Amino acid sequence: MNTHPYLRAYLAGVFVPTVVLPLLLTFVVIRLVHQVPIPVEQALIFPMAVVPLLWGLWNMLWLWHSPRTHLPIGLHGAVLPLLLMPIGATLASCVGMLAIGDRGVTWFQVAHVPYTLIAPMFLAALVGYYLVWKYVVGFLNRVLGIA
Amino acid sequence: MKEHDENRMKNLLKLAVPPVGGEAEPGRDLWPDTLRRLDARPARVPWFDLALAAGLLGLVAAFPASIPVLLYYL
Repeated sequence: MNTHPYLRAYLAGVFVPTVVLPLLLTFVVIRLVHQVPIPVEQALIFPMAVVPLLWGLWNMLWLWHSPRTHLPIGLHGAVLPLLLMPIGATLASCVGMLAIGDRGVTWFQVAHVPYTLIAPMFLAALVGYYLVWKYVVGFLNRVLGIA
Repeated sequence: MKEHDENRMKNLLKLAVPPVGGEAEPGRDLWPDTLRRLDARPARVPWFDLALAAGLLGLVAAFPASIPVLLYYL
């Protein structure tokens, strides 16, 4: 199965964000049902459009460079938050879903994250991405015959 | 003599390399073999990854406010 390997890499890459998306839509449903005055759907632009696209492209990039660099897919995936976090924070800030305060940042007008927690949360994102890329995206790449 | 050697070499090569037929595809379905290989792979998770997963779950449990933020980036 040597045809269209980059297309298969893209599809394997977008799998996880596509599965997570319905979970995020539950926040929209909760807002509509309980009439919560927080427009969370504005923040969904990023996880709906940008994240799946970058995951797919990131997996295509891994397929392109892995024969030369032999970089494990988990480590390759763990680098992605370094790109995603600034983009996501900028977009969230533009639509009013991220407010920067004196003692921390407030996400979605309710989730207050003190500055002391930002570094552990960033590490948590790296760890989460490492594990998901290693075990889920790596598995899908094997199943699709590109790893 | 030289031409004779060349012809001999050609014949030997023809005998050594089997002819490629018109059918380039395998004669059987390879997908069951792929599935068997995936099933046979031992699902061993290194302790380091387990520790990372435990740390991640611990952080999320200690700070539930981080859940929507982490989901936002997935």
